Amino acid sequence: MTLSIDRVSISSQKQKIVDEVSLSVRGGEWYALVGQSGSGKSLLSQAIGQMLPANLQAEGSILFKEQDLLSLSSKQMQKIRGKKLSYIFQDYQGSFTPFRTISQHFDEYMRTHGLSSAKTREEKALDALESVGLDQALYRQYPFQLSGGQLQRVSIAIALLLCPDLVIADEVTTALDSVSGHRILALLAKRQKETGCAILFITHDWRHVRRYANRIAVMKAGKIVESGGKHRILDHPRHEYTKQLIQAAPTLGQGLPLGVKKVEKT
Amino acid sequence: MKSFSIRLPNMKKYHWQATFGFIFLAVVTAAVFYAFFYLRHDPTLTNLEGGLQGRSLQHPLGTDHLGRDVLTRLLLGGQQTIGSSLFALIAAVFIGIPFGLVSGYKRGIVDRVFMRIADGFLAFPDTIVAIVLAGLLGPGIGNLMLAIVMVKWVSYARLVRSTVLSEVQKDYVLVARINGLSAGTIMRKHLVPHIIGHVLVMASLDLGKIILLISAFSYIGLGAQPPTPEWGAMLNDSRPYFQSMPELMIYPGLAIVIVVLFTNMLGDYFRDQFDVKREVRQ
Repeated sequence: MTLSIDRVSISSQKQKIVDEVSLSVRGGEWYALVGQSGSGKSLLSQAIGQMLPANLQAEGSILFKEQDLLSLSSKQMQKIRGKKLSYIFQDYQGSFTPFRTISQHFDEYMRTHGLSSAKTREEKALDALESVGLDQALYRQYPFQLSGGQLQRVSIAIALLLCPDLVIADEVTTALDSVSGHRILALLAKRQKETGCAILFITHDWRHVRRYANRIAVMKAGKIVESGGKHRILDHPRHEYTKQLIQAAPTLGQGLPLGVKKVEKT
Repeated sequence: MKSFSIRLPNMKKYHWQATFGFIFLAVVTAAVFYAFFYLRHDPTLTNLEGGLQGRSLQHPLGTDHLGRDVLTRLLLGGQQTIGSSLFALIAAVFIGIPFGLVSGYKRGIVDRVFMRIADGFLAFPDTIVAIVLAGLLGPGIGNLMLAIVMVKWVSYARLVRSTVLSEVQKDYVLVARINGLSAGTIMRKHLVPHIIGHVLVMASLDLGKIILLISAFSYIGLGAQPPTPEWGAMLNDSRPYFQSMPELMIYPGLAIVIVVLFTNMLGDYFRDQFDVKREVRQ
């Protein structure tokens, strides 16, 4: 088991935002966490890396490779972050420091995790760029010179650079157009096969879930209402909310969504 | 048919200000350095018989009431005024930046403690602090600079803190943390380059104010002490001779006005350079 979250609650001083959530991600699988905005998916993913804002408190246990992440000191956590656990975010533009080149991002990241030889670092970075299908000429450019899809590819390259055990992909396709989004996910799936990492995939888009996920958990208002294998959830949803979500997703070849009547031509 | 179009060069609105500012800065620096290495007259040597002379080859700007060469004193006064202003400014910036960085990045209790300290300093206007320090430690340019640093660093700490507070929310800082970078590295490499522009703008606008402050305090006798040449002090020295030799007051006065004017021009230029809207316009 790569990650097992056991009865984790996240609360601010006023209210509980995530309520006793439990889920477990196995090695090498694609685990999708689905739910509408504000259901607490992103907070849960931030709690895994001890990245919660200072005014929020997490309780429970998050076991990652037999280590309870919530009890680690920030120094110990710093060693895990980036090396064994990495993130990819929705906002590709904001994920890069504007005045540092792509090469500086790669370089700093690897130096932080103990790769001392500058030559090895550059070779590794160029290989990584190639593995996500990018031209090596981009290596010396600034983030604003790259397109959204290219930047998201670079994010994937950096996230998978040191072969982490778990990658948390938080709405990675939301800010991209649907063609680029599909390409990015196909690439992520390909790189996952090559590196064998597990992916915790946070999304509200059923199309991606249908195509890539192995297992699914559906989250609503801070609670997991249903979880299980992909086919079980998609084909035989038990919870009312899951049914609603699946029906609300636009798919080809189905009738109009609930509550909309077809207008007859007169 | 082919059409031709002539592209006009992009006329920047404030370009001339910057040019003037930089040229003037270069001239002042050169003059001040020149005075440092080559002195024709001792700036403190008094010669009562040769007092209040007009312009001559030997004394290009004449002599003051004690027979000291005005040009020499003007140049060395520039060293004193601009040098101590710059020193006070740089000290304030170097105290303010780390304070603001740590405060904005760590937040929580560290931020609260730091900002209450800053508020404490902010409660006293600079003139009051300078007068109190002069009363406690005695008048002098060193104590005046101390007073300026004590008051000015707070505004830099506050500026840096507010910039950092908004930058820390952005994803690239989050990503840097997630990638395992230490807080020190994030502050130095990812945040300092962001704030340096803001600080530079504020510093260049502040420089004029500090020069005025130092001159003003020297004028009322709380800054540079005689016989040290200083523009404000020179103004004060020449006050009794305003009717007979007004140029003795005009020279240092003009020097202060010009230096403050050009540092402000430079400040305006920097502000435009770092203006976000300017990037959008282009």
